[in-house]
Amino acid sequence: MNLKRASIACAFVTLGIYAGLTGSLFYFFREDVWWETLLSERVLFSLRLSIIAATVSTLLALLVAVPAAFALSRYDFPGKRLVDTILEVPMIVSPAALGAMILIFFNNPLGIRVQEHWVQLVFTVYGVILAQLVTVCGVATRLTKAAMDEIPVRYEAVARSLGASPAKAFFTITLPMSRRGILAASILTWAKALGEFGATITVAGSMAMKTETLPIAIFMRLSTADIEGTVALILILVSIGVAVLYAVRLLSRNKTYA
Amino acid sequence: MLEATDISIKAGRFRLRNVSLSVGESGCHAIVGPTGSGKTLLLESIIGLRRPDAGRITIEGIDVSSFPIERRRLAYVPQDLALFPHMTVQDNILYGARARGIRRTANDRIVQELVDSLGIGHLMNRRIDNLSGGERQRIALARALASGCNYLLLDEPLSSLHESLKKELWFLLKDLRRRYSLTIVMVTHDLEEAFFLGDSISVMMEGEIRQAGNKTAIYNRPADLDVAKFLGIRNLFNGEVAEITDNALIVFSKEPAIFLRLPVMNSSSRLMGVLQPGAKVMLGIRSEYVTILQTQAPQEASCCKVEGVIEEFFDMAASFLVAIRPFGCANGSRPVEAEIPAHLFYRLRLKKGHSVKLSFDDQKVFVIPCDSRGTRP
Repeated sequence: MNLKRASIACAFVTLGIYAGLTGSLFYFFREDVWWETLLSERVLFSLRLSIIAATVSTLLALLVAVPAAFALSRYDFPGKRLVDTILEVPMIVSPAALGAMILIFFNNPLGIRVQEHWVQLVFTVYGVILAQLVTVCGVATRLTKAAMDEIPVRYEAVARSLGASPAKAFFTITLPMSRRGILAASILTWAKALGEFGATITVAGSMAMKTETLPIAIFMRLSTADIEGTVALILILVSIGVAVLYAVRLLSRNKTYA
Repeated sequence: MLEATDISIKAGRFRLRNVSLSVGESGCHAIVGPTGSGKTLLLESIIGLRRPDAGRITIEGIDVSSFPIERRRLAYVPQDLALFPHMTVQDNILYGARARGIRRTANDRIVQELVDSLGIGHLMNRRIDNLSGGERQRIALARALASGCNYLLLDEPLSSLHESLKKELWFLLKDLRRRYSLTIVMVTHDLEEAFFLGDSISVMMEGEIRQAGNKTAIYNRPADLDVAKFLGIRNLFNGEVAEITDNALIVFSKEPAIFLRLPVMNSSSRLMGVLQPGAKVMLGIRSEYVTILQTQAPQEASCCKVEGVIEEFFDMAASFLVAIRPFGCANGSRPVEAEIPAHLFYRLRLKKGHSVKLSFDDQKVFVIPCDSRGTRP
């Protein structure tokens, strides 16, 4: 077997794993249960909560990620390497551990003060958003930085040589030129937030009609041995994920900056 | 006037060392040198994209070394032009004016004149991605000029164009420079371009300016062997100083066997204080200053003559490069090269193996001391 055939075979093995797992869901698929699950108040709440929390956490993450990515992409500063490394912590540390870290923080004097005087985060919707934010902020920064790295710094240099201030060059050149990349980063960040489970359940718990996101709902259904209901929820989540990935593919198909 | 004085800058393992250059008002200075010599780094430090470790940059007498890019008023055109792909041609051209807060529209007289002179009026509403190379060059120039800057910094802006378009743009650049009194600093590795557009030239190598000044002097009398080789001079021979008189430097070479009396007026004048009789030197002459005579041609007193046999010739369309091995020269030694116009080549009916006489114009022969750059083993 030559290299070409072997590598193509591996590509199909990868496809086979995920296609097989997804296909096996249909063994337990029942249309009546699907509709019943999809239209139930509890699932609709979970879906709404998941979408709203993922959107809010993504927007908050981008508020930090875009300027942070610009700094990491364009400037040299003390501690840059440390910041760059820390961004990968949420990717290598288990989400449950991240969630535990958040819980521990809120048991510290500062965290207790925040909860008493500002906002109650543990076991609330805000906790869901915070858990998702902590999980996706690093990813959002990393992906946005990759998008900005693709824009040669010469474009900003030319803009500035023509009279633009650094801020004007950022808003009129860097940001519009990297918008496709940032949009793709946003979508992937959103998808990751939507599927977040470990940190969310640790920080916000699994209270039905309160903090139960779609991944938590899947876990709860499975824990009660409701396989058909679990399959219905998984298919909803997979459909959203596939739609998002397709959108990213469409956005990154055109490789020009414009 | 734009001046860079003793610029030193480190970029990774590469270092620019004490580089200075000066361009007078409405002048054009070309920085030439091989790839990786530091030309772009120098240009980037002048623009303000990189902060030099030492040295200063002045524009019209004002030290701008600590100024940010936007306050230096130097319009920069990089090698890839960096046209903004998310904007139309018109928005690209008006970007600089808008960035400086000048209320300028496409109907503005200055913009209109510029657009007309560059012949890009029909492109104004087009996007950048579907323009040809020549159109992009013109738009990059229009954008730079519409910003109101009188200083233009060009980083190999024509390197990707084909010959005819490149030459067309040379004339256009000359015209724009005259019309808008532009002061230009350009980086190029194209010698023809540098000599056509530049009033003065700097030759950069390994992070240093090896030779700078009048382009004719640099063309004819390179300061060291590296510069000579970069300028494409291949007629370089080992020689020795025979005698130094008040008004001449007398040198000779064994292969080819030549004996030259170089008048003070050429490069020997600055070397007379440096060289001693017996000093090893390199003798050089551009191939176009080597004349091929038929063997029966009468002797001229002012020229040095060498006889040899045609070893090879190369058709270069407008001219021929003829390689001649002087009699008595070993086979492994470099032949003397003479570049002669094609019509003369055909008239002389030169063929491989023909015996010919070569004439070296001693006014054009240059001398490089053997302790200068590139001559050490």
